[in-house]
Amino acid sequence: MKKPRKIHVSFGPAKADTVAVPMRAFTPRDSPLLDALMHDENVHQLLDSRGDYAIFMLDAKGYVGSWNRGAQQIKGYSRVEVIGQHFSVFYPPEDRTRGKPERDLDIAAREGRFEEEGKCVRKDGSEFWGNIVLSAVRDRTGALAGFVKVTRDLTERRGAQERALADDKALKAVNAELEAFTYSVSHDLRAPIRQIEGFSRILAEHLGTSADQEVSHCLRRIQEGSRQMGRLVDDLLQLAQLGRQDAKRHRISLDSLIRDVLANLRTETAGRDIEWRLEPLPPVVCDSGLMHVLFTNLLSNAVKYTRTRQKAVIEIGHLVKDRELVIYIRDNGVGFDMKYADKLFGVFQRLHRAEEFEGTGVGLATVQRIIRKHGGTIWGEAVPDGGATFFFTLGGATATPAN
Amino acid sequence: MLLAEDNPADADLILASLTKDGFAGAIQVVRDGVETLDFALCRGKYADRDPRLCMRVIVLDVKLPKIDGFEVLRELKSDPRTRSIPVVMHTSSNIDSDVARAYHLGASSYVQKPVDFERFRRTVRDIGVYWMTVNEAAPEWSIPADCSK
Repeated sequence: MKKPRKIHVSFGPAKADTVAVPMRAFTPRDSPLLDALMHDENVHQLLDSRGDYAIFMLDAKGYVGSWNRGAQQIKGYSRVEVIGQHFSVFYPPEDRTRGKPERDLDIAAREGRFEEEGKCVRKDGSEFWGNIVLSAVRDRTGALAGFVKVTRDLTERRGAQERALADDKALKAVNAELEAFTYSVSHDLRAPIRQIEGFSRILAEHLGTSADQEVSHCLRRIQEGSRQMGRLVDDLLQLAQLGRQDAKRHRISLDSLIRDVLANLRTETAGRDIEWRLEPLPPVVCDSGLMHVLFTNLLSNAVKYTRTRQKAVIEIGHLVKDRELVIYIRDNGVGFDMKYADKLFGVFQRLHRAEEFEGTGVGLATVQRIIRKHGGTIWGEAVPDGGATFFFTLGGATATPAN
Repeated sequence: MLLAEDNPADADLILASLTKDGFAGAIQVVRDGVETLDFALCRGKYADRDPRLCMRVIVLDVKLPKIDGFEVLRELKSDPRTRSIPVVMHTSSNIDSDVARAYHLGASSYVQKPVDFERFRRTVRDIGVYWMTVNEAAPEWSIPADCSK
């Protein structure tokens, strides 16, 4: 057997840390199997059909014996340039000096296959992140004939991943800042707002009945305006505060929590004819403080929007949908147009005129935030003048209902 | 009542709310943490104060200049002369950690100032009525005769 000649060739721009890679001619006698594979028309067609995968063969020592279109695209070398080169030329210099290519071949030979994600080097010296698979090829006697190497360029995927992570981080930071801002502004606004209402009130009382109509009217408007501001600020504070805490998880009975909320709504329900249909709810795992806020918002909405009814009917119940517990609150009030359903939970979004129903447009946004913190979903269904129903789940934190 | 309130408009509103229906008792207003302690401990600016005029309640805002409400509370509760005087925290914040801290330092009550004026007025009146007339204050002899130490 003629001893193959060793030729030292360097490709590309000369670099101080270039490692000289031995190259030799790939002779068919080294591996009949590999040779057959390489010259098979069908194999060629198959390999060249994949432009996004570099698929090529190495002999038992790691010299490149074949090339495909994908390999040229990904690594930059043309067939003539690369055939006979040692595959370590695709590794970054630091890996070559450490002997990594040889080690990877060893592993592939011993275990049949070697796979990893790592840095790869193109013809022009540029690096990219790739997924590499080395598979050992053995002939019928079990002797190692060579390897098949498949490289996939992961640049796009990794770039997309890194971009997504960076975007997510930036978004979280912006949200946190926004919440801190909302909190501190709302907090500092409370005193001046209270003072505007307070002093105009005291003024009105001081003037008493002697005040003329115009003066009383103006003072009343001032007080109403500040009261609305006050409600807005308190609602915003509540919304902003939510961002700061994580939902705690305790198993609680919602029934006693709801009774407590109803007791707090006494001033709103005074003088009203309301029929409460409260079905016992199964215990759930959730944050009781947040659920208190949630039910306060949803129930006071139900009470408010049934004001036009002689007799309001508000029911709380539960059902199972797709094996998940769904709790609902239904009222027979003015409802809303489903056309605007996607605006329901937006901050400051209102579906009714202020003269008809006062409100800040923050309540449902708060409720949605609470549900999201629990990993659940909330949605509303209604018919204009036909009542509304709000359904919500509590995500993974819900106990499976005992049927 | 010793009222520690740095915001003059809020102080006005509180006084107006208390005196509206005739308030039984004197109200001393102080504007910052140092003044609060000076008055309570008969020192500094108030060194000549008659120590026998005892306070039935101290209404304290958390947000006070110079020394904040929590520091004032801590000092009041560590001094035997003022330890037994009930302290009501009357403040804008309702964050759990603030409430917990106040009670931990020895406050007797924690009230968040409502933004709605009517509720604010009712709340202030309730505080005044309760602590000045309903609650039993510590008897005078618990304050050492010599207050100027």
